[in-house]
Amino acid sequence: MVDEAIAGGIQPRSLGDAPLARPVTGTASPPRPAAVVVDSLVKTFKGEVRALDGVSFEIPTGTVLGLLGPNGAGKTTAVHVLTTLLRPDSGSAHVAGIDVLANPEEARKHMGLAGQFAAVDEGLTGMENLVLVGRLNHLPRAERRARALELLEQFDLADAAGRLLKTYSGGMRRRLDLAAALVARPPVLFLDEPTTGLDPRSRIDLWAVIAGLVADGTTLLLTTQYLEEADRLANTICVIDHGRVIAEGTAAELKSRLGGTTVEVVLPDVDTAARALAALVGVGDGEPVVDGLTVRLATTTGLATTSELVRRLEGAGLDVSSLQLRQPSLDDVFLSLTGQDPHADEDEDETRPAGRRGVKTGRGSR
Amino acid sequence: MSVVAIPRRSRAELGIADTFAMAGRNIHRLLRAPDQVVFTLVSPILFTLLFRYVFGGAIRGLGSINYVNYLIPGIAVQTAIFTSSNSGFALADDRGNGFLDRLRSLPMARSAVLIGRVLTDTVSNATGLVIIVIVGLAVGFRPHSLPGLVLGFLVLLAFVLATSFLFALVGLYASSSQAVNAATFPVIFPLTFASSAFVPTSTMPSWLRAFANHQPVTTVINTVRDLTLGNVSVAQRHQLFAGQSTTALVVQSLLWTAGIGLVFGYLALRRYNSTNL
Repeated sequence: MVDEAIAGGIQPRSLGDAPLARPVTGTASPPRPAAVVVDSLVKTFKGEVRALDGVSFEIPTGTVLGLLGPNGAGKTTAVHVLTTLLRPDSGSAHVAGIDVLANPEEARKHMGLAGQFAAVDEGLTGMENLVLVGRLNHLPRAERRARALELLEQFDLADAAGRLLKTYSGGMRRRLDLAAALVARPPVLFLDEPTTGLDPRSRIDLWAVIAGLVADGTTLLLTTQYLEEADRLANTICVIDHGRVIAEGTAAELKSRLGGTTVEVVLPDVDTAARALAALVGVGDGEPVVDGLTVRLATTTGLATTSELVRRLEGAGLDVSSLQLRQPSLDDVFLSLTGQDPHADEDEDETRPAGRRGVKTGRGSR
Repeated sequence: MSVVAIPRRSRAELGIADTFAMAGRNIHRLLRAPDQVVFTLVSPILFTLLFRYVFGGAIRGLGSINYVNYLIPGIAVQTAIFTSSNSGFALADDRGNGFLDRLRSLPMARSAVLIGRVLTDTVSNATGLVIIVIVGLAVGFRPHSLPGLVLGFLVLLAFVLATSFLFALVGLYASSSQAVNAATFPVIFPLTFASSAFVPTSTMPSWLRAFANHQPVTTVINTVRDLTLGNVSVAQRHQLFAGQSTTALVVQSLLWTAGIGLVFGYLALRRYNSTNL
């Protein structure tokens, strides 16, 4: 716990935390135009759900934007607008410099889409799926098979090339779906929750594949509910909730918003936790917060706060089960921004008023 | 990293190539599961046997016409219409599992998905019809002439190509292929049974006869029947076809075909292109 983040400042990533994605600053020197520009998108579905409520963001060429948000936040809607599947009520979107609303046919030549629903044909083999997509991308006949083989190799599916998709595992299917999106080597790729529903092993495999693509210069928009995924793959993270962008920055920037370090004390029982909470008023920045047996303090001065905390607890004669200092995780950021546990697999709560976004704590597990 | 160089071809050429690509995909799947075609023919074959041997003897109003020659065109039209509903099932499946989203994000002609689908289903329909004709021949069906049979066959195929578009439209609205079944069965059933398929409409109560005589399925059945029976006498023509000539029947069938095909083809294409599919 060396680096004390200064609120609002830019925190360099430590080496151990090196992203798989290439950092933005490491790319070629002349500023390149953004590969994706989204401006004030609004989309309302029947029944007054505002799926997009003025979303704007840009993705510089060759970088990865992680679009992060709970279920129903508008992530998929944004991807559907960008991939010409859906028309927004207002706003504009450009991909590779092409206006996707004015010229959707041209825009489709520059993008690939893969997603959580693994849109491949169950009744065809892996090879046939990729050749079909090559054909529909109008690749020359000779090139289709070669490209399909190349992708099957790259995605470790060569052995399964001749098998029907029906026989593929979830992870294999996702890889093939991703391969299908890459057949025409699109410069911009949209991945809508690419690892949702996958087992951890398959997820890590897919992350490695995606990181490889990014290293080759593909511009990527990745939507995810998994903060770890955004943390590992994205240069910039855009947190979206109820159709609005509520925060944007690098993972480090977002984390530093929470005021750096959290001191966490776990008490042996609820009663002790309540007494500890009372004893710790005034320690750290802001009020201490209790969540079950855990009391949390936010601070920018970890060591001083910790010693003060220890003194207070000793003074009150309270014993603790554990005590730790930790940097905020993206989970904390997410929780504080959206008031939702990012991993709560809950129903979409679309009707909740959009204003409720203060830092909320002490929410029980659900 | 650049987009793969693509040889220049005109829009129309690309559209045709895409349509063939989609039809090829559909046929590929069909060849993997030929039982699909076979199973859809089980019930029409049972119907053929049932009407030929069980009910046939009790059916009146045919004069000198052999019932089996009356029956087979009716069975063929009914079967072909039911089979054309596959366009709806297949599109609902493709939509449900996200495959249509993938296709819609590709730089391909959007009409290709729909037209490729309808063409494939018409090809598989033609295959099924050949089998029905063979079964018919086995139970005593004797078309008057080969040209008449071929012409009737073509009129019917054109008609079910059009109805494929109708079912495609249903498929693009339905939430699942089961929903397509639920939505189409109550329509197909009365249209094919309240027709001249199994019994002459003259035996029906007047209110039903009025409907049966004026709906497109009866027109198409009568056309196919007239073409396969050949040499229909004036009296028979009066009794079976409300006195209409062969030409009049063919023209009406083609008009229905064009009308249904254009209206539902347009609507289905519009639906596919709609950005809220």
